Amino acid sequence: MRPPRSAKCSPRADVRLAAVTSPSPSATESNALHARVQAFLRAAMVDPARTPEPFDALALALARFQAAQIPATARLARARGIDLATATRAADVPAVPCDVFRLTRVAAHPPGEDVAVFRTSGTSRGREARGEHAFRTTATYELGARLWAERLLWPDAARLRSIVLASPLAEHPDSSLGFMLDRFAALLGGGSFHLRDGALDLGGVVEAAASARAANEPVLVLATSFALVHLLDARHGLDLRLPPGSRVMQTGGFKGRSREVAPDELRAAVSEAFAVPESQVIGEYGMTELSSQLYETTLAAALGKWPANEARHGVYAAPPWVRVTAVDPVTLSPLPDGAVGIARLVDLANVDSAVAIQTADRVRVLPGSAGNHSIELLGRAPGAPPRGCSIATDDMLGPP
Amino acid sequence: MQQAVALAGRVADPTDRLGIEARRDLAVTSGLSREGVELALAQHLEVAISDADLASLLDAVDLAPCCHVILAANVCTAALRAIALAFAASLAVTIRPSRRDPGIALILARELGIALTDTIAAAPGDALHVYGSDATIAEVRATTAEGVIVHGHGTGLGIAIVGADADLDASAQMLAADVIPFDQRGCLSPRFALVEGSEDRAAAFARALHAALLDLGERVPRGPLDEDTLAAIALHGAALDAVGERFVGPQHVVGLDPTPRALLLPPAARVVQVVPASAEAAGRLLGPWARFLTTVGGSGRGALLDAVSALAPEARRAALGRMQRPPLDGPVDRRGPGKQS
Repeated sequence: MRPPRSAKCSPRADVRLAAVTSPSPSATESNALHARVQAFLRAAMVDPARTPEPFDALALALARFQAAQIPATARLARARGIDLATATRAADVPAVPCDVFRLTRVAAHPPGEDVAVFRTSGTSRGREARGEHAFRTTATYELGARLWAERLLWPDAARLRSIVLASPLAEHPDSSLGFMLDRFAALLGGGSFHLRDGALDLGGVVEAAASARAANEPVLVLATSFALVHLLDARHGLDLRLPPGSRVMQTGGFKGRSREVAPDELRAAVSEAFAVPESQVIGEYGMTELSSQLYETTLAAALGKWPANEARHGVYAAPPWVRVTAVDPVTLSPLPDGAVGIARLVDLANVDSAVAIQTADRVRVLPGSAGNHSIELLGRAPGAPPRGCSIATDDMLGPP
Repeated sequence: MQQAVALAGRVADPTDRLGIEARRDLAVTSGLSREGVELALAQHLEVAISDADLASLLDAVDLAPCCHVILAANVCTAALRAIALAFAASLAVTIRPSRRDPGIALILARELGIALTDTIAAAPGDALHVYGSDATIAEVRATTAEGVIVHGHGTGLGIAIVGADADLDASAQMLAADVIPFDQRGCLSPRFALVEGSEDRAAAFARALHAALLDLGERVPRGPLDEDTLAAIALHGAALDAVGERFVGPQHVVGLDPTPRALLLPPAARVVQVVPASAEAAGRLLGPWARFLTTVGGSGRGALLDAVSALAPEARRAALGRMQRPPLDGPVDRRGPGKQS
C-alpha cells in the first residue's frame, strides 16, 4: 500500500478566540487575568526577578477566581480547610488531581465559550472517560509555549524547517500536543506532518530530509516517541540524515502503540538516524491538564544558552511561570527540594481551569540558577500494586 | 475432584492439621489480617460441590493430555478452583504457584500429589491455564510453544447494583460482606456501587455502606497496606474531595460522586465508589468497564440492573452478599476468550 501523503501544517483558524457576543459574567475577570499572566510571562522571560507582580500573588488571584467559578475547586479548598481569601502562598492553593479532569468540568466559563477542548488519550475508555481541558482562549497557552520553545528549542534563533512525526491537528483537533506542534510548525514557517490515520509516512520523511540536506537548512523534528520507534523500525538503511544544526524534540510515552524503548536507547538511535548529536535530541514533558511545557536543556546548553552544569538528559526545566513541588505521595504534603515525591505543578498559564495540578509523576525537584525549577522525571507512581486478577488503572490504558 | 473438595473442607476446618497449617502460612504470605485469613478459609472456600455444578465444571473445559496451571498471587483460596478445573481437563496436572503468595496451592498440591514446577513445559495439545493480570497472560502467550492451548483468566472486577426498590441498609450490609473478603483484591470484588435513583438516595446508601464497613471492619480488619497502595488511596481521595464526598473509616473508604461523568477506579483496598445511576446512564458510565466485569451483584429489581446485565452478558450474576461465593461450577471468570487476554 502506498504510504499516505504528508500533510501540510493545518490552518490556525480552527481554534479561534472566544466569541464575545454574550460573554459569561466571569469573562471580564478572566480577560483581566489573562492580561496579567501574559505580562508576567513576558517579563519573566527577560528577568524572573522583575515581574510585574509576585508569582504567589498571581497564583492566588487565579485560584480565587477559579474557586468562585468552578465547583470542584471550591469543594477541594473546603475539604482541605483552605481559606483562599486569606492565603498568601501559591503552596496553599489546593492542587486538582489530573483525574478530576475526567470526572467533572474544570473550567471557569460555560461550555458555550469553549474555543478549544483538549482531551487526554485513552482509547479504551471512551470519550466520556477522557480528561477534558477546556479553553475560552488559547492566547496565553500559545504565548507561553512560544516563549519557552524560543528559549529551549531554538535559542539560537536559527532558521529551521520542521518535520512533524505526529498527526496533523485536523486529524486530532482535541489533542493538546497536536495543537502545540501545529503552532510550532506554523511559527517556523510551516512544516510537514508525517503521520496520517496512525500510519507513518516514511517516504515523506525521507523526502523532507533530503530536501533539507539539499538546501542545507537545519530541521527541527517534532515527534512522539512511538512515531520515532515506528520510524526507526521501518527505515531499513534509508537516509534520514539532517544538516548540521538540526535537532529533535520527542514527547509522550508508548501506551501500547509501539514497542517500548528505553529513553537512552531511543535517543541514541534517533541521534544516529538523523545524524544529530545526542545533546540535541531533547525530551518534552507536558500534559493535557497543563498549559505549559517543560524541556530537557541539553540543546540550549550545547548552544551556550543554558548553564551546562544543570543540563542533562532526564532533567526537565520548567518556565518561570511554573512552580514544581514534590509532595509526599501519601500525605500530599510538600517535600524539600531534592526529595523524591509526586509532582505538584502551579502553572500560571492555566487561567481558566486549575492553576495547581496534582500529578502522579514521581520527580525530584532541582532548583535552577535561572530562577526556575527543574525536575528529574522518575516515572509514574506505581499506584496500588496489581495483585493477580484484580484490575488496576493501567489495565485500562491499553488498546481495547 | 471430590478429593480436592474434601481436602478443602479440611483446610477450612481450623482444628484440622491442614487448616492449622493453612492459617499459619497465609498469615505470613497473604497480606490479609488474621481475621481476614479466617474469613477467607471458613466462608469463601468451596467445601461442597453439587452434581449439577460438577457437571457444569466438567463441561467448562476440554480434555487435554496434560493440564498446566500458572497461579496468581491474589485470592488465597483460588487454587482450589484452578486445580479442580485442571483435573477436569486432565489427570496429568502441573502447577506453578506464585512465589510471593502461593495461597493454599502448596498444601493442596502436596496432598493431591500434584507436581509443582518453576518452569512450565507444555507440549502441543496440552492445556495451559494462566491466572493473573492481562499483561502476564499476554507475556505467557507470547512465549508458549505453538499448539499449546492457552486459557487466560485475566483482570476483572465486580460491580454492585442497588435496585430502585432495594432496602438501602440491608443492601449496604450485604455489599460490605462482598467488599471485605480478600481485602477487595479479587476479580469478583465489587469496586463500584451504582444506586438507581437520585443523588440523595446514592448519598444515603454511601453513608449506610460506610456504617456497614465500619462494623464489619472492626471484626475483620484490613491487612497492612504498603506505601504504593496508601499513595493510590490518597490521590483517589483527593479526586473525590473535588467531585463529591468521601467517608473514611479506619479500614475502608467510601467515595460518593453525586454527578458522575465517568467512573474513577478505586484502589483495591476496601475502597468503594458509589454513584447514582439510571438505566439510561449505564452505557455511558460502564462502557469502558463492561469488558472487565466478571460479576454483577444486585439487590432489588429495576431497569438499571437489567441494563448493566445486558452490558456484561457473560458476567456472573449474584445477589449482594453472594458475589464472593460463586458455586464451583467452572471458571470464576466466565467472560469469553475474545474478551480475555
